[in-house]
Amino acid sequence: MSLFARNALIALAITVVLTGTVIYAVNYLNNARVAELSTIEDQISIDTLSLDTQFSLLESAPCDSAASSTVLTGELSDLGNRLSYAEDQLGSDNPQVIRLKQQYSLLEIRDYLITKQLAAACGTKPVTVLYFYSNAGDCADCDRAGYALSYLHNTYPNLRVYSFDYNLSIGALQTFIALTKVKDTLPAFVINGRQSYGFTSLPDLEKQFPKGALATTSPKL
Amino acid sequence: MSPETLVYPFLFLAIFFESFLLVTFLSKPARDRRLASTRQAAATPRVAIVVPCWNEETTVAGTVESLLALDYPADKLSLVLVDDGSTDRTSAVIDRFAEHPHITALHKENGGKYTAMNLGIAHAKDAEIIGFLDADSFVASDALREITTAFAEPETMAVTASMSIHQPRTILQRMQYAEYAFAITLRHVFASINGLYVTPGPFSFYRRTVFDRLGPFKHAYLAEDMEMAMRMQRAGFNIGNALRARVYTKGPPTLPKLITQRVRWTTGFLRNIAFDYRDLIGGKGNAVLGLFVLPLGLIAIGGGIAIFALTVTEVVQRALHALSVVQAAPLSYAFTPHPFSWFYLPVTAVTLIGITLILSTLIWMTLGKRLSRTPGRLVPNMLVYLLLYSFVAPLWLIQSVSHVARGVHTAWR
Repeated sequence: MSLFARNALIALAITVVLTGTVIYAVNYLNNARVAELSTIEDQISIDTLSLDTQFSLLESAPCDSAASSTVLTGELSDLGNRLSYAEDQLGSDNPQVIRLKQQYSLLEIRDYLITKQLAAACGTKPVTVLYFYSNAGDCADCDRAGYALSYLHNTYPNLRVYSFDYNLSIGALQTFIALTKVKDTLPAFVINGRQSYGFTSLPDLEKQFPKGALATTSPKL
Repeated sequence: MSPETLVYPFLFLAIFFESFLLVTFLSKPARDRRLASTRQAAATPRVAIVVPCWNEETTVAGTVESLLALDYPADKLSLVLVDDGSTDRTSAVIDRFAEHPHITALHKENGGKYTAMNLGIAHAKDAEIIGFLDADSFVASDALREITTAFAEPETMAVTASMSIHQPRTILQRMQYAEYAFAITLRHVFASINGLYVTPGPFSFYRRTVFDRLGPFKHAYLAEDMEMAMRMQRAGFNIGNALRARVYTKGPPTLPKLITQRVRWTTGFLRNIAFDYRDLIGGKGNAVLGLFVLPLGLIAIGGGIAIFALTVTEVVQRALHALSVVQAAPLSYAFTPHPFSWFYLPVTAVTLIGITLILSTLIWMTLGKRLSRTPGRLVPNMLVYLLLYSFVAPLWLIQSVSHVARGVHTAWR
């Protein structure tokens, strides 16, 4: 065998090993991301169940669980950001991403229901936004709307934003959509029970909030 | 299929190329050449060095003076200065050296560089080895000793030197300094397996028998040095490299001049391969050239343009999208710092392979500089290379392909 042929074969072997190592490393990291998401979801799931149980146990003084609920909403928001990044990296058709999104949607619905229950029991008036988007390529303004909501949530941490992939196939979410009567004109918002569709600008979105709703939450300085 | 997927085959080939470079660098022929000492060769054959000049009044004196300072027996070395019909004071400058006993100054009508080189060959009748040096370049004093050492192997018919950019001043010259350091390693490695397809104008040498058997230089689409090397490869000749034979040149200082030079080189490569030396590609002759160097050279041109086009498209699309998204909230929000988390590290196959390729290129540059003992500061110039090269190189690649496709005449300067 000539020196050239020998070197070419060795180089090919090195290339295959190196490429394989890179693919393995990227997969390993992606799996680690999914594992972390799963761990966070499990933790939030436990916390939600705990809050739910606490709520039931303290029927006489349910408002003691309000603080825990606020902390949970913040964690949910961080989880949503991570999930969105993982979706970008792994693809929206990745089975693990879909499973995590389904679990995340259930947690959000659960948190939303607890928030409503606490509001009714304690007489608080939380501002909640249900945000429905699609990343199937049929919603040109969804990225802008999501970014504007991130800004609002970042500026007003008490604002409770719940994001849902409108096309996600899970029974509870579809029931939730049916109950809230949100049409498939996306992006869609349900702000304290009032529906609105489409996104043009941040000021226009802010107009959809109840008068003084943003002002009464605690702006982050 | 995402645009990123289209990049994978090119990245795979790039890793294959770098791996081949590594394996061949570590192979015995390359190792032996690196360890070869000039003391091994006591032979001092008769050498003639031809300096073709065309409007080089500001640089040719330095070129000739560096040749006169060569550490080589004076009676074995002759210089032939050929003025190819310059319109500036080049003629007067070279005439100043004509009184030197070993220098011949010739003047002719302008006919192109290759005609000046051929006239020089015709006047170097008693030389066993004939070399060439562009009139904007100069050499280290031990360069010729290194060259003649590389001719110690009887089958070596031509020897190339290690070129570098002398005292880079402009940012583009700095970029070229790093690029030339990489090229030193490439030339060293591929010479060890006879894979060179160009014997560059600055300080390449040939046995006289090359011209006797293969004939003189040709126009060759303004790439006479490339054509001669391809002609030698077709004839089964070996082209070597003297790693420590240092020759310094002035790289084009501005973008238009750099693009003109590189378009000449690239169109010369494409036209010679496409029209006159197509038979070199394939496994019939020199397998290193036919199956590896030349095909990868062509793929690099196509891949360079394709990756550049994809990257520009992708970056513009993403930038426009990001701009549109960012406008949905106050600008200050876009600059809000976020706590670091490994979770958001943008680790993809493209970024990992890209980093590997960049690191290996930097290592080759460092080795090229160190092994050839080229003076100068490499690190800052490597950074300039990393920042600029991928933006600048596609400009001449696109223009070259366009020239060849449309049959546009390529200018020398």
